[in-house]
Parts: sequence; C-alpha cells; structure tokens
Amino acid sequence: MSAWSSAGAMWALLRKEWVSEWRTRWGLHAALLFAVATLTAVSFAVGRLADRVDVLAALLWVVLLFAALSSLAHTFVRETEGRTLTLLRLVASPATIVFGKLLFNLLFLALLEVVIVPLALLLLGGPPPRWPALLGVLALGTLALASATTLLGALTAQARGRGALFAALALPLLMVVLAAGVSGVRAQWEGGAVAPALRLLGAFAAAMLGATLLLADHLWEE
Amino acid sequence: MSAAAGALAVAADATRIEARALSHRYGPRVGLAPVVFAWQGPGVVAVTGANGAGKSTLLRILAGLLKPSHGELHLTRGGRALDAAQRRHAIGFASPELAFYPELSALENLSFAAAAAGAHHPAALARAALERVQLAARGHDRVAALSSGLVQRLRLAFALLHAPALVLLDEPGSHLDDEGRALLGGLVADAAGTALVVIATNDEREWRLARERVELRGRDVGPAA
Amino acid sequence: MALRLLLWLVIAGGLAAGFAWAPLVPVLGATTHVLYLHVPAAFVAFIALGWSMLHSVLYLARRDMRHDDHAAGAAELGILFCVVATISGSLWAKAQWGSYWNWDPRETSIFFVLLIYAAYLALRGALEDGPRRARLSALYSVLAFVTAPFLFFVVPRLYASLHPSPILPSREQGSMDPRIRVCFDAMLVGFTGLFFWMLNLRVRLGALARRHAEVELEPPDSAVAAAGRGTR
Repeated sequence: MSAWSSAGAMWALLRKEWVSEWRTRWGLHAALLFAVATLTAVSFAVGRLADRVDVLAALLWVVLLFAALSSLAHTFVRETEGRTLTLLRLVASPATIVFGKLLFNLLFLALLEVVIVPLALLLLGGPPPRWPALLGVLALGTLALASATTLLGALTAQARGRGALFAALALPLLMVVLAAGVSGVRAQWEGGAVAPALRLLGAFAAAMLGATLLLADHLWEE
Repeated sequence: MSAAAGALAVAADATRIEARALSHRYGPRVGLAPVVFAWQGPGVVAVTGANGAGKSTLLRILAGLLKPSHGELHLTRGGRALDAAQRRHAIGFASPELAFYPELSALENLSFAAAAAGAHHPAALARAALERVQLAARGHDRVAALSSGLVQRLRLAFALLHAPALVLLDEPGSHLDDEGRALLGGLVADAAGTALVVIATNDEREWRLARERVELRGRDVGPAA
Repeated sequence: MALRLLLWLVIAGGLAAGFAWAPLVPVLGATTHVLYLHVPAAFVAFIALGWSMLHSVLYLARRDMRHDDHAAGAAELGILFCVVATISGSLWAKAQWGSYWNWDPRETSIFFVLLIYAAYLALRGALEDGPRRARLSALYSVLAFVTAPFLFFVVPRLYASLHPSPILPSREQGSMDPRIRVCFDAMLVGFTGLFFWMLNLRVRLGALARRHAEVELEPPDSAVAAAGRGTR
C-alpha cells in the first residue's frame, strides 16, 4: 500500500472517530469534566500563585497529564468493548490504525487544552505568558504525550482493568514529557530559554513515533 | 492427515490457499489440530466439524486475524504470494463476532470500511453493497437499531464490499430468515463465479452451497471422553 | 553445587570483610557499610532491566517463550534488587544529605527503574498466561527501553541547568582504599552471580510449567489427523 492511500485511510479513521465521538460524546465530556474538576480542586486548595511560577508550571502540567491519562485510552477501549477491532483490522494495517488514532488523540488533547489552559491561567494567576513560547511548549508536549500513549492505549485495551492499567503504565513513559514540559513552561515565565525543553520534547516525540511505527505490527495477532 | 485439493485449471488470477501442517494453540489449549489442504478458486468450499473442532480458528487464520502457532499457510493469486496489504485487499470476511459501530449508520459503517481500505469511491461502493443484500432502505438507520438478522446481512455486505478474491464466511446463515437464506444462496453463487468462497458451518443448507466439503476432526480440550 | 557454595562464600565473605576488615571512607563514616549492599543492588537492578529488555526484543523477533521467561524472571528479580537499592540509598541519603529523597539524577533514575518494573509486572498480572502476555509485555518493555535514554542522560542535564543538584561525595574516587575495593568487587560479583543463578532457576521452572500444562491437556495419542474429505 502506498503512503498516499495510508494517508487516506488515516483520514477516514480520524473522521470516523470524530463522528463516533460527536454522537456519543461521553469520552470528551468525561475528560473535560475531569480536567475542570482537577483544576478547580487544585486552584481551591492552593489559591492564587502569581509569584510562584515554578509551582504554577508544575500544576498546569499535572492537570494536563491527568486529564490526558483519564481519556487517551478510550478510543481503543471502545474498539475492544464494542468488538469492532476485527472490522478495523480487516480493512487497515496496524500502523494505519495506530496513526489514525494518534491523530484523533492529538485533536482530542488540543480541544482539552483549549479549555484547560486559559482556565488554569485565569484561576491560578501568574504573570502574562510569552505566548509563542508557551504555545510551542504545549504543542510539542502534546505531540510527545500522544505519541507515547497511543500505542500503549492499543496495548492496554487488550488487558484486564484497562483504564487504571493505562494510567499506571503511561506514567513512567511520561516522566520525560512532564520534566521537559514543566521546565519549558517555567522558562517562558522566567525569561529563560525554552529551546532545550522544545528540543527534548521534539526528540522524544520522534523516538516514540519511530517506536510506534516499528512495533505496530506486533500489536494484534489474535 | 489427508488433503482435499481442488484440481481445477489454473486461471491467470486464480486464488489459491495452501496449508501445510497448519495448527494453532491458545496457550497450552489446542485451537486447531494440524490440517493440510490446498484449495483453489473460483468455487465454494465448506468446512464442517463439531463445535470446538477449529472452524472459526481456521477462518480467522485465513483472514490474517490470527497468527497460527505452527505450520505454513500460502496465499497466492495468479501464482504470486500476497503480502499483508494485498491480503487485506483480497479478503472478505464475515463471522458472528464481527461487530459494527452502533452509533454509525449501516451506510456509514460500510463507507468507512471502504475508505479505510483505500477505495476511491467509498460511498458508492457502500451503497452498492447494501443494495446487494437488500438493505438499502435501512441504510441510514444506525446499526444499534438493526435487528440481528439485518446485522447479519450487513456482515455479508461487508464481506463482499470490495469484490474480494477470497471470501471467508463463518456461519453465514445465522439469524437469517428464509428470505435471507435465499439471498445468501444467491450471493454465494454470484461470488463463486470469480472468487474462492470458504464457508464454515454445520448447517446443511449452507454446506450444500459448496462443491466440496472438508471436515475438521480435531480433538477438543482434555482427554477423549 | 560447588558454584553455588562459592557464590554464598563470596557474598558472605565480602560482607563480613566489608564490615570487619575494610576501613571507613573518611567523609562517609559509618555509612560506608551501607554501600556494600546498596551499590551492588543498584548495579544488579540496572543489569536486570537491561536483560529483561534485551529478551523482550528477542521475543518479538523470534517468538520463543524462553525469551519471555528470561524477560519476566529478570523483571521479577530486578524489582527485588531495586527495592533494596532504593531503601538502602534513601537511608544513606538521610544520613549524608539530611533528607530521604532529593530527586538528584541518581534517585530519579532508580525511581524510574522501579516504576518500569512495577508497571511491567502489573501489565503481566492483567494478562493471561501465554503468547499474548509475552507479546504485549515485550511491547511495553521496548517502549520503556526507548524512553530510558531520555531520562538517564537528557533530563538530569536539563534539570542540573535549572537547579544545581546537591553536591555528591564522589563514590568512585580513584584513591579508594584497596581493601574497600576488594570487598566492593566481591559484592558486585556475588550479587550479579546471585541474580543469574536465581534467573536460571526461574527460566527452568517456566519451561517445566509450560510442558506440564501441555501434557495435562494433551491426550497421549494426540498426533491425530484433523482434516479429511467429509463427503464420502
């Protein structure tokens, strides 16, 4: 199959995911509610943190991370529970399936962040951000997050206790994203260089995408 | 161990499956005891056998859904071996376990399948497939609203969606009423003109559709009773 | 048998000599003794992780269940050594640095290793015995393997540039007392030997358990043919 028709297949998968999500909506609703609940709980517990950008950066990423962990597995869990994975495997290659889902996860995370990030800045306070730097860190961080967890979602969907297991397995993989994301967000507030964090996130995402491509063929064999 | 071979003249694009000592274990449990066969299309082959003999396992292996633990399987078309992508393209598969997206309509399900498989006009292909199983009138209903008999027709439409060269049907008549069974007979006869159709069933009405019947007599779990 | 005896002698001898014969490192004082346990345990924890990941890759390439036994066994033993290393290191850190946990690069790495082990074993626990468990846990292991270099080499540097890590009393001084060196090396060899001996037992046990399961399910005359012409 050519790269062109794979792209078409991924696009079809992305559209299918979007329509399914839009009609059922429980995934996005649950993730948004969870994220907002976490954010308000944190904000309520610590109050405003205008002068502690280090804590602020960490809290922002913790909220993002947990919102992602609570929701990123659900595209594959839905395929497993609805027993629709057979259909999917009959029409598309494993790599196409995983990368199609990855695109959807990126879209999902972007939607989540559009709500969470402004709300977090509003509730927690903090100096005005340097937007290009902040958006750069968030964009690459999101890419890193999605590339590290999509294959994992496909993997844990095949095990018992999927949701909880996914979060537990994702955490060690995401320590790098957490460390680099926090230091990047912090640096943009402190006026430091964000380039090291961006480089690290980019390299990590690239490594994870490569691993995903290589490993996808081993995902489903029964 | 005996072989059942369809000795027909080799057409230029004939589909051929050959299995040598093909078997599968689910962990220590035997899913399919070793089988040997060579089938060639076009035509219909029926696979029968007691529950647990490995009919579904065999079909899942042929469809590329299950990796056999032992033995060899050769899938060729016009003498050339098929890679994974060509194999997906060549195969149409329907089984009772095949499920559709309940929140999408019948038409959307098939369009998605065709688009994901790389078809150029997925919607047109999907409509034609629905017409073939006489489901066009219900095409815009969500799958969640279809009865089990209608879902079975949708499965047949899915299996025949892209005019595959190898059609694998696991209990194709389940949930079908008399009208549906008549439809199935017609669909199998049509497909058999160009494709190799493999039907796994214990229903006489279904294996009567085949030119050749193969029985799996593998052992089930545990010592012989 | 003789090898096993030698192994125990090396460990017991190294430990006894470390306490009774070797001098204390001036800066460390009595906490020197912790290091005879801590460093070999940490060393083996890393070796075991590498071993487990290596066999995960081999399993994916060759699909031989023995590689899965190696991967699983190394992880099960590795987490044991990892816990020993973490606790002893934490106690040592309290005595030397004044707090049990500081997130210095070494602590971060051992914590990461501990997390990976725990996650890997949790995944295995959630899957049924068989090739599927072997395949999926190997996949996870490889993913973790890809993450490791970032955490071990890149993140510490990034963090060090932000806040200086606590000043480490160097453990690998060139001027280490030869008596300490001897005890240290004996413990390293002993622990590594202990790991591979236990791993060997675990791998042999795994092969036997598989054979046992097959024999139980298989009637003695199971070499029967399956397919034949039905219509006759």
